[in-house]
Order: sequence, then C-alpha cells, then structure tokens
Amino acid sequence: MNTEHVIVAFVTWFVLCFFVALNGGYLLLNLFSLRALHRRGQEQFLGDLPRAYSGLEPPVSILVPAYNEEATIAASIRSMLQLSYAEFEIVIINDGSKDKTLEVLQREFALLPFPEAYRRTIPTKEVRQIYRSTRYPNVRVIDKVNGGKADSLNAGINASRYPLFCGVDADSILQRDSLAKVTEPFLRDPTMVATGGTVRVANGCEVSGGFLTKVGLPRSPLALFQVVEYLRAFLFGRLGWSALNGMLIISGAFGIFKKDAVVLAGGYRPNTIGEDMELVVRMHRTLREKGQPYRIEFVPDPVCWTEAPEDMATLKNQRVRWQRGLAESLNANWGLMFSRNGGVAGWVAFPFMLFFEWLGPVIELGGYIFMVFAFLTGAISWEAFGAFLFVALGLGILLSASGLLLEEMSFHLYPRGKQLLMLGLIVILENFGYRQLNTWWRLVGLWRWLRQKEATWGAMKRKGIGEEGAGVPPRGP
Amino acid sequence: MTLATQSDTFIAAALWTGFAALLLTLLLGLQIIGMRLMLRRRQRSDARALARWRPLLNAAIVGEMPDSLPPLRRAERLPFLRLWAHLQGSLRGEANEALNEVARRLGIDAYARGLLVRGNRPARLLSALVLGHLHDREAWPALLRMAEQPDNTVALTALWALVRVDPPAAADYMVPLFIAREEWALSLAAGILQQATEPAAAALTRLLPQLGEDKLPRALRIAEALHLALPGAVLGAALRSPSMPVVIAGLRGVRTPETLPEVRALLAHADWQVRVQAARALGRVGERADAERLVQLLGDREWWVRYRAAEALLELPALSRADLDVLRASLTDRFAADMLSQAMAESANK
Repeated sequence: MNTEHVIVAFVTWFVLCFFVALNGGYLLLNLFSLRALHRRGQEQFLGDLPRAYSGLEPPVSILVPAYNEEATIAASIRSMLQLSYAEFEIVIINDGSKDKTLEVLQREFALLPFPEAYRRTIPTKEVRQIYRSTRYPNVRVIDKVNGGKADSLNAGINASRYPLFCGVDADSILQRDSLAKVTEPFLRDPTMVATGGTVRVANGCEVSGGFLTKVGLPRSPLALFQVVEYLRAFLFGRLGWSALNGMLIISGAFGIFKKDAVVLAGGYRPNTIGEDMELVVRMHRTLREKGQPYRIEFVPDPVCWTEAPEDMATLKNQRVRWQRGLAESLNANWGLMFSRNGGVAGWVAFPFMLFFEWLGPVIELGGYIFMVFAFLTGAISWEAFGAFLFVALGLGILLSASGLLLEEMSFHLYPRGKQLLMLGLIVILENFGYRQLNTWWRLVGLWRWLRQKEATWGAMKRKGIGEEGAGVPPRGP
Repeated sequence: MTLATQSDTFIAAALWTGFAALLLTLLLGLQIIGMRLMLRRRQRSDARALARWRPLLNAAIVGEMPDSLPPLRRAERLPFLRLWAHLQGSLRGEANEALNEVARRLGIDAYARGLLVRGNRPARLLSALVLGHLHDREAWPALLRMAEQPDNTVALTALWALVRVDPPAAADYMVPLFIAREEWALSLAAGILQQATEPAAAALTRLLPQLGEDKLPRALRIAEALHLALPGAVLGAALRSPSMPVVIAGLRGVRTPETLPEVRALLAHADWQVRVQAARALGRVGERADAERLVQLLGDREWWVRYRAAEALLELPALSRADLDVLRASLTDRFAADMLSQAMAESANK
C-alpha cells in the first residue's frame, strides 16, 4: 500500500470518526437534557401554582444596552416595565447612539438629570449624564460615550443597585414571567452565580403590547431552519451542559448574573463580539481558580423571543460574528482548559467546544471537500462516498429530531399537527445544504477572527414581528 | 487487497452507523407522534373532568356547598387534585376551608395519604401539597420521612406541608434543619417558616445561645428574613463577637435600640462590610444625635458605606428636609456631598 492510499484511508476514517464523535457527543448531552426535562415535567405543576411574592425574592437590575434603537426602545422598555416580578429596576445604557435614542427616552419616560454618585467598579468609557424617569422611579438612563456593548453593560453594572443583574437586548421580546423563572435557581441554590433561559424564534408569532400573544411558525424557509436550530441548541446543547455544570454560554439576549461574581471576574471584556460567552467562560475560570463553589444553570423555559434573520446576508453576518465570538472567548481563557480545578467546564466542556465548535468547521467542511475530491479522483469508491454522506446526514437528522422530541416532551409550543409536520420536514431538509452553509460561514468567522478585525455593534436588517422589530440578534445555537 | 479491505470496513462501519441513526430517527418520530396523541387524549380527558368539577368547586368557594357530591372517577382524580391545589393557592380564608370540606367528603385525604406512600415522584409531590392544604395530621409521619429525602424538591415540598399541618411542631423540627442545611437558600427556608413565624422565633431564641460561630450567621440571617426582633442580649453578644460574619449577620438583625451602643461602636470597624451594615442599622434604630456619626461615614473610602450612610441619614427621625439641605451645603468633601445629593434625589422620587 503506497503513501497516498495510507493518507486517503487515514483521512476518511478520521472524518468519519469526527462526525460520529461530534454527533455522539451531542446525543450524550441529549440524554442529560432528557433527564432534566423529565424531572422538570414532574415538578411543572408546582411552578404553575399561583405565585405569591414573599418579599424574599432577590431584586434585579435589568440592564438594557442601546445603540441606535430609536425605533423600538420606548416600546421595549414599556413592555419590560410590565414584567411580573417583586422588585426590579431598568437601567438603559445609551452607548453614544447617533440617532435619537436618548431624545426618545427623554420624551417617553420624562427623564431628568439625576445627581448620581457614579461608582466606577469596572472601568468604562466616560459617562456623560445619568437620568431618572419622573414617571417610573425604577427607570434610569446612562448616557455615555460609545464603547460597545460590553462597555455599556459594564457601565450598567456600575450603576446597578441590586445584587442580581439581567442583561437584555433592547429588542428582546420577553415573557411576562421571565424574570421569575430565571431567578428561581438563585432562590434554590445559594451558590448560583448565573442563569440563562431559552431564546426562541419570534418570526411568525404575534406580538401585542410588547409581549408574545400567539406562537406560530414563520413562512421563510431560512427562519424555519433557525426554529429547529434553536430547539437543538437550547434544549439539549445548553440544558445538557447545564446538568453537568459545564455550560459555557448564556445568551446576551437574556441572562441573569450575580453582580459580585461578575465584578470578581472583571466584568464584561470590552471590544469583544462574544462578550456574553467570554464572560461566562471567564467566570468559570475565575471561580475555579479561587476554589469558590458555584453553579451556572440553564432554565429550559422559553423566556425570550427574538427575530431571526430572513435573508442570507444578515444570517451570514450573524453566524460569522458568533464564530468570532466563540474563538475570542476560548482564546482569552486557555487557563480553564485542563486546569487543576477545572472540573467539567475545564476538562470536558472547554475541550469539546474547542474541538467540535471552534475547529469543527475546518474538519467538517474539509471532510466534505476531501470526500468529494477523493471520489472525483477515484481515491475512494462511490460506495464509500455514499456511505459517508449517509452517515453524516443520518446523524445530523437524528440530532435535529432529538431536539424536536425534547420540545414535544416539555413545552409543545407548536400545538397544531400541521406545525409539527412542518418542523418534522425541516428536521430533514436542514441537513441538505443549510447546515453545510452554516459550517462555511463559521469557517469565514474563524478566518476573520484570525485576521483580528475590530469588533463593533452588530446590525441586523429588520422585517418586524407583529408590532415590533429586532436589532442585535442574540447568540443562539 | 489491504486497501480494499480497509474500504470495505469503512463502508460497513459507515453504513451500520447510518442505519442506526436512521432507525433511531424513525423511533424518535414515532415517539413524537405517540406523545402528541397521548397529550391530546389527556387534554380532552382533563377538560371533561374540569368541566364537571370546576362549577362544583366554584359553588363551594362562594358558600354554596352542594348537599351531595358526585363520585370522583379514577380518571378525574389527578386533574381534580391539580385544580383543587391551584384554587387553594389562589384563595384565602373561608374559601380554603370550603375546598377542604369538599376534599374530605370525596375522600381525597385518604387517597392523598396513599399516594404519598405508594405514588411516583410527581404523585408524591402533589399529594404532599394537598395534605398540607388539608392540615392532615395523619400524614405527619409520612411527610416527615419525605422531608428527610435527599431530593431537594421532594424534601422542601414535604417541609412546606409539615408547617401547615402543625406549625409549632414543624418549627421545632425545621429551624435546626434549616440552620444545618446550608445548601438550601435562605429565602426558601424563610419562605417556608413564614407560615410559623412565632414558633420559629421561639425555636430560634432557644437555639441561638447554643450555636457555635460557624452556625450563628445563618441562624441570624434566618431571623432577619423572618423580620424577628431578637432579644437584646442575644443580639448584643453577636455584635461583640470576634467573628466578622457573626457581627455582620447580627447588624442585619438589629430592629430595636437596645443594642445602639454596640452598633455605634461598629461604625469605625476596619472591615467596610461591617461599616455598611452598621450604617444601615443606625438608620433603622438611630437617634437625631447619630447624624454626626453618619456624616463622618459619608466621607468613607467605600462607595457602599457612603451610600448606606446617606440613606441612613434620611431615615433618622427628626431630621427635616431643610436640615438635610443645610447639612449638604455644609459638607466640604465633594464625595460626601454627591452621595447625600443622590440619596436625597432618590428619596424625593420614591
């Protein structure tokens, strides 16, 4: 057997093993999610009982970074004011918007300058002025020099009054009980430092008064693919890792953090794209280095809805940014990997992310290209090529189907038979092109990260859902 | 030949993996369809049960107790219990008693006791909830066993029920348990003990002098969460403790002026977290004469100390808005003046 044959044999086996290991890893996470959702189902009626506030719920500061959000900011804040929770404040951070975001806020919430003794626990760009609403005592606005989303969140942390803070995207559509649901783990476990909830695709849904009133499926195939993708990413990606206390990401669209733990880790890292993930990875690293017991948990309940991109260019831009964010987050926290006290986060989750999510696109796409090339040059038979495609697509479909199963056994938000049928179809179809396209975009993201292009606020083409639109999309799958 | 063998093995491995994935996908598909059909059937059955029982329970709630009740069919039991527990959680007073009477007449108490022992996890959780609402003394031993289980949800639901069945006995049992089980959040413990505040206060007062410095902070925090006014001697001892966590927990519990001298002494403590809590305590129990002490703290190097001192100044009795304006104008330290301005603006906007 000559060298060429050895290489071909090695690569074909390597690619096959990679696909099996990648999907096998996710299926294993799926099992943990199944167990978690089963237990959640057993306790669901307890959560559904009428909720009486005991006065012992930890108050929460909701931080809303805003950059050029004049069109939606007032409606978003009004809907946040209607959240069902015992005590919370809303701190909007106007990050040097170039449009009339500040003027809209001043007009809609009757803002007046507030003589705040601003505390710089975490360094940020200059704060120009702090305002307070004369209509809603729990609404404040920080007007600051532009410094990016992470810098805005840090300014919000500095100004926040309460021990927990909730980072929310200005365009997120929240469930009325979202705060209550996602703070629940903090009531249960004193070592809890961060929690995140499920983000769902809002395209095709009806929105009224800033809240979701009817769940539906989008018509756009791209958005439909993302519905299944979000199910997969949240219901077993995050829930599975959460069960192992190895969750490395909480979506920037909606996450609750213990302020002390975040300040201890140094706050959000400015000039990053994936500031949400980077913070969580750094919190794991810091708390493990200090030997402090902690938990980071995922709440599977849908708490936040977001508009998914419906055109290729925006979707590509989003995925490129996510991949860059992932690369930044892992690259900035190598110290966690295989560290002495690294636990599941350092010994399993970080290497998994590194190999399958960070480097994955290179191997995955390289694998597809190699197999096509090897087939065309006759290095492998058509049977081998067909078998490879069969296993790659089969495992992908299995993975998506398991996401749908988790949805059906937990929330069944799509009640109509037609909707279930449509999702079933998408589970199959997304494996023929959409996932491969995503892999390509992730590869582009990796390339751009290597070139170290500067991070900026993300922009998204809005179509609008019901009465409101979107803006910077959350980190999803 | 070797290459051909390798290729054959590769094809076989890939095909078997692919077929396994395909088979599993088909099974998942069938499972999803099966679950959807079962859900539909259960929803229809629940709707029928609720349509029959909701009017009867509503009538009982408004004081129109039916003379005779239809038998509760087997399939109706769980949806009925869920509806009943939901109504119990939404209502207060006589309505709760009316619901209890309906449940007893239907034999729900005996049924729930059976479930508590023989049921699966969700059934045991539901039955503990029901027996708690029913104040069912016969369930006490079984609930006690359930409270000792390692499953936190099961244990805490049982404790919730116990405190409703017999508040004094439950408080005696739970207070030492909540002090010991540090993995249970204080808010959970206090939320359950809120149903038995007086017996819990008595149990805590008895226990506090016997506790070591490792357990004392948690016990004091439970007292604070329950808004209990602890005896001055107990609190004074805590405030004089060499342990920082004990002092901080003690300061958080100060509700009466009995320990004012100890609180004042702690304003100059080296640890800023102690100074924060001392300022807050002084705001609750201080006198007009304490204003000068708090003004000193307005110049503290720690932001939180300055903030709490400013808030405390606003809470002090007999200090008018005009007094505070004069005080602010007299401050030469810019940080102190800024902080007082902020606290005054916040207070005006509340």
